[in-house]
Amino acid sequence: MTRRALAQALLGASACICIYACATTGAEGEGDRDLPSSGVGPFRKLAGDEVPGVAPFVLDDERAEYREPSAISIRVAGEAEPSVVLYAVARDAAGADGIVRSRALDGRAFFGATGHTGRSPARVLSADLPWEGGALSGPAALAVGGEIWLYYAAAGGIGLARSVDGVTFSKLPAPVLAAVAPSGAETTAPRAPSVYRLPDGRFRMLYAAGTSIFEAESADGLAFRRLDPDPSTPEIEPVLAPSRPALPSELLPNEKGPFDTGRVSDPEVSVRTTPAGRLHIRVLYTGESLAGATVIGFAGRYGESGPLERQQLPVFAVGKKERAPTMVPVGAGIMLYVQQDHPAGLGGGEGYFALSAAYAPGTETLARPLDYPASP
Amino acid sequence: MARARSLSLAAAAACAASLSAGAAQANPPDTYGFGSRETAMGGAASATTRGFAATYYNPAALARSRGLELSIGYFRADHHMQINGADTGVDPVKGLNGGLVVPGTLFGMPFAFGIALHLPDDRISRVRALRQEQPRWEMYDNRNQRLFLAACLAIEPVPWLQIGGGLSFMSSTRGRLDITGRANVFRADDSELRHEVDADLTAIRYPHAGVRVALSDSAALAAVYRGEFQLGLDLSARLAGSISDLTTALFVLETSSVNNFLPQQIVLGGEWKPHRDVTTTFDATWIQWSAYVPPVARLDVALDIPPPDGGWPPTVTPPEVPAPTRVEPLRMRDRLVPRFGVEWRAVHARTADVFARGGYEIFVSPIEAQSGLTNYIDRSRHTVSLGAGVALRDLARELPGTVTLDAHGQLGQLVTSTTRKTSAADLVGDYTAGGRFIAFGLQLGVVFDPPGRAK
Repeated sequence: MTRRALAQALLGASACICIYACATTGAEGEGDRDLPSSGVGPFRKLAGDEVPGVAPFVLDDERAEYREPSAISIRVAGEAEPSVVLYAVARDAAGADGIVRSRALDGRAFFGATGHTGRSPARVLSADLPWEGGALSGPAALAVGGEIWLYYAAAGGIGLARSVDGVTFSKLPAPVLAAVAPSGAETTAPRAPSVYRLPDGRFRMLYAAGTSIFEAESADGLAFRRLDPDPSTPEIEPVLAPSRPALPSELLPNEKGPFDTGRVSDPEVSVRTTPAGRLHIRVLYTGESLAGATVIGFAGRYGESGPLERQQLPVFAVGKKERAPTMVPVGAGIMLYVQQDHPAGLGGGEGYFALSAAYAPGTETLARPLDYPASP
Repeated sequence: MARARSLSLAAAAACAASLSAGAAQANPPDTYGFGSRETAMGGAASATTRGFAATYYNPAALARSRGLELSIGYFRADHHMQINGADTGVDPVKGLNGGLVVPGTLFGMPFAFGIALHLPDDRISRVRALRQEQPRWEMYDNRNQRLFLAACLAIEPVPWLQIGGGLSFMSSTRGRLDITGRANVFRADDSELRHEVDADLTAIRYPHAGVRVALSDSAALAAVYRGEFQLGLDLSARLAGSISDLTTALFVLETSSVNNFLPQQIVLGGEWKPHRDVTTTFDATWIQWSAYVPPVARLDVALDIPPPDGGWPPTVTPPEVPAPTRVEPLRMRDRLVPRFGVEWRAVHARTADVFARGGYEIFVSPIEAQSGLTNYIDRSRHTVSLGAGVALRDLARELPGTVTLDAHGQLGQLVTSTTRKTSAADLVGDYTAGGRFIAFGLQLGVVFDPPGRAK
């Protein structure tokens, strides 16, 4: 190559650089992909295209009034992908509350939903034991070995029913955590259980009583004893109690105080190990203000024992009396199900309770829902 | 003579340090270097730089040029920043680098004017005001997405001393949106709304200055000051009118944030040639990170929607005024960043020189552990750079001077570590973060000057 040719090549190279740079057009910025999260929201309610019926409701029936859901991911025999199974409280024709089961392949199109004409969720538990007092509430499903264990609340305490297929259950004759005489903050019978397992296999149960949330432990999941997060006091303390109302001097203009000054209830517990290797107990709960407004809050703790620390902001709030959260991983995110007010139908009336869904991360849009499953 | 030079250097450094006007490690050149030769030498270039790159590294060195210099090149840095093993997609920084130096004499004294530009090809500048809880790579995500433009002057009062200074330019954003009229909530098409938009891009400048003292033919010292600047973003919106003649609404929103803050810097550096073909360099850059202003928007909202006659229908929930943001302070520590460089003239012939270069920088993260509410993620970084260059003299009759072609590659490796959150109710939780960036650049220059005349 001659020196002149080299000079021309260099000038040509610089021209190419300029042309390349000038021909490049700006792209929308990123930098917020796969951001870390504790996996408990904040959640957004589902939009119209994301559910087969009227968003954000996934299971509603004016007569059944579905309430207090518990979600679990289960692989049904003969199906390649796991389903989201919801156990929920429902009223039967006689007006008694029992527990029903429904299922969705995508966590949104549930068997027996409004649009699934002629179908309804399967009733799996009814109150038929003397200690149950004629009504069941607060189902909490847990996979144990090859079985589904369904804890539930009734008048005499927390009971347990076991099943191999998740449809046909056998109840234990006595409660696994019995109601006791009012003591300290536990002023009512235990209700709304949520059960998890520690890495060593022990069972832990969070339950609501009075205005607070308490904890109990069991080696086998069949008989629980109450835990005291503060053994230095004679009474059993709750792991989460209502917040102290904020003084006006503590608030900025237009700032609201804590959202759970009246009552905390309906715990939904999940466990993970953080990237730092710490055991992380995560609890979604219903936070109720002194005025009666409810939202979904989040509290947690590192380690297996001790009180829970609360997040100052709710993780889900739509002003529709949302309560009784339960969540399950769906796809790359987390689906949250709550009980909330459903407006009255065309015939008028006062409205009723139904189950709605929300999703996190809130920036992600879900694809159109799949078909309804063939069975509940 | 040596004492006089030392005094001059000390005085110049003191003057530079006393300048109060005022930003730093978020010019793209701060992070990725400027010009292939200097970047390949690890950015340790305050005493060795020359040509257009001197406008950034040390404006005083512009006065070393004796002939018109033109330079253009391209640069690209790709990020691979991971949190919990997942790439967060931090955008690349890329664009043209170039500039010119026009030398002359003033009252018999060598003088030079230089202008330099980093022109991103994706976006001139980007504005981002994220929630303070949202995890982001504070040093890489947004701060480097901007133009760098500087103009400087330099003089050489005596053969061993060069003094220079100049300004860098950016623009802040101020905007206003005003909507008035009547909104029909039942038939949106019947709404009558007027809107006005008023936006300003106001110029801001920040100074930089430097001095270079040649102690001998084989050694030189340099001091550089770079000023602080804040790139503001002020937006306001006003919505006023009637809603279907049922009630009126007034909504006023004002938000103010610092979208980009560059702390001031002082650089002390040196150059030593242990051999006529080997140049070694060192820079120590002090950066006042403790003055950093986090890019969080301060929101002020007023809302007035009186209830209609008869009160709100039961199905309508009137909107509430959002609560203001409690901005958590971002604590950062001042840092001293050491940089080392070496250049070896591997070939020295009548018509061509060939160079090999290398450099290293260690950048200790100034951001304190993010164990609380905020998530300004950063990690300490080791940056290794390599490069090569060729200088061709009298290449063609149309190019009476020296043509230079320099290339560099750069690896910035961030130390992986885990952030542990104090609160178990933190919505982000613990995370492990680390990553790297890989950059390369190519620079073509022409020095219209017979070989041997440039200092």
